[in-house]
Amino acid sequence: MVALLKQLDELLRGRMTSPESLADGRMKLSLRWFVPLAAGLGMTFGFFMGWYAISLYWSGTAPEPERLWQVLASTVKLPLLFLATLVVTFPSLYVFNALFGGKAGFVDTLRLLVGAVTVNLAVAASLGPILGFFTLSTTSYSFMVLLNVALLTIAGFVALGFLLQTLRRLAPPKVEVAERIPRMTPPIATPLHGGTASAPPEFQVVGPAVTDSTIVPADRDLAFGRARTVFQIWVLIYALVGAQMGWILRPFIGHPGLPFEWFRTRSGNFFQAVIVNIQNLLGIN
Amino acid sequence: MRSALAQTDLFLRGDGLYAPGRATARPGWWLPAMICGFGPLYGAVMGSFGLDSPERALLMMYSGVKVPLLLFATSVLCLPGFFVLNTLLGLRDDFREALQAVLAGQAGLSIALASLAPVTRFWYFSEDSYRAALLFNAAMFTLATLAGQVVMLRYYRVLIRRRPNHRIMLIAWLGLYAFVGIQMGWLLRPFIGAPGMPVAFLRDEPLSNAYVVVAQLIFGI
Repeated sequence: MVALLKQLDELLRGRMTSPESLADGRMKLSLRWFVPLAAGLGMTFGFFMGWYAISLYWSGTAPEPERLWQVLASTVKLPLLFLATLVVTFPSLYVFNALFGGKAGFVDTLRLLVGAVTVNLAVAASLGPILGFFTLSTTSYSFMVLLNVALLTIAGFVALGFLLQTLRRLAPPKVEVAERIPRMTPPIATPLHGGTASAPPEFQVVGPAVTDSTIVPADRDLAFGRARTVFQIWVLIYALVGAQMGWILRPFIGHPGLPFEWFRTRSGNFFQAVIVNIQNLLGIN
Repeated sequence: MRSALAQTDLFLRGDGLYAPGRATARPGWWLPAMICGFGPLYGAVMGSFGLDSPERALLMMYSGVKVPLLLFATSVLCLPGFFVLNTLLGLRDDFREALQAVLAGQAGLSIALASLAPVTRFWYFSEDSYRAALLFNAAMFTLATLAGQVVMLRYYRVLIRRRPNHRIMLIAWLGLYAFVGIQMGWLLRPFIGAPGMPVAFLRDEPLSNAYVVVAQLIFGI
């Protein structure tokens, strides 16, 4: 347990993704440690999420005892959502990374993604006590949905920042390639790119992305551009599959008006449901 | 006692042991001790509204306990998130100082509240309306929060100068703390004690959510 937390601490402190640590293009992250760790952190958030059933039970809004199974269901389903999405998307994420000139190999790509999921779930788990506190004192379903979405969004953006930063650190061209090009411009003269909409710029303040002064700025810009393309494709694929995965695994919170079920009947898809909801809201139909 | 007051004076001036940047030199328990010492003073006065029976005196004690409880419970809930985000932004080495800064903010708030206690008591003395008492207390808390901010910023400015990412964590802390604190305050009611309501440590009604109640008030759902 202590050893696990130490590993997590190393990751969160950024030691596993520091420019020095990534200098050889490898991530020193053990999957044997981090997959269970991500699952444990996800279970923590899921556990607090499931408390809504307890709140409904206590307040008498929906006093059926079988509802309390929702606590167990959410605890198991939340890590499953993230890890199953990774299983489904990993082959395509790897292919697109290789296709667009990403430097990381097969295992390192997996390590990087598991690292990002771990960061995501660690932030979510650390916000868990706040979620639990609100869940126990709230019966409003809409509020709980919004709060869960808000907390997972915060955690998601932090993880995206981590992912983009690490991708960029893995991106620079190999030093020996750069050395063959005569150095005309002073090294490290160009400023970093501005943050994209999905990556808060604060992550660029942590430290210079590249410390190796032998890399020519033009090459670096090109490599960073590639890293950003890979990042955008990854986010798109993962988000689309993740949204549908969440739809299949629902219910996570448990609507007070519906009976408890481990899984809802498999009907429709996430995107259809969004369109139907928007139509209902606008009164088209 | 005198030395405690002298310490408080130093703290208010941000001098001596409490000078920003001297986090490691001062004992860690001073700031929580200040919250526990000064918070109840205002709490007791806040609970002294409509003091006409022995039971209502009990409410003074309850409110006295609840002010530091509100501050500490809110902090405890926000700390895990604050810790993980600090670590992720590469600010872990400064965490002890960041923690002292947020505690200092709450100590500043408690001291400012305690200093406003006579004003509140005077207000209760001159005005009997419960609604006015609610609004007056809200105003006093706002004022004290500003004082707390001044103290907290004093320590955070040093941190931000060292590592600019501390600015993000300062905003994150204020956001989390306010969000949780409002609900915590709502759950820990009554602080003032509406006339006619029975005296109790917590209201004898189902737990509810302050934000949902406000939304219902505004939109009439």
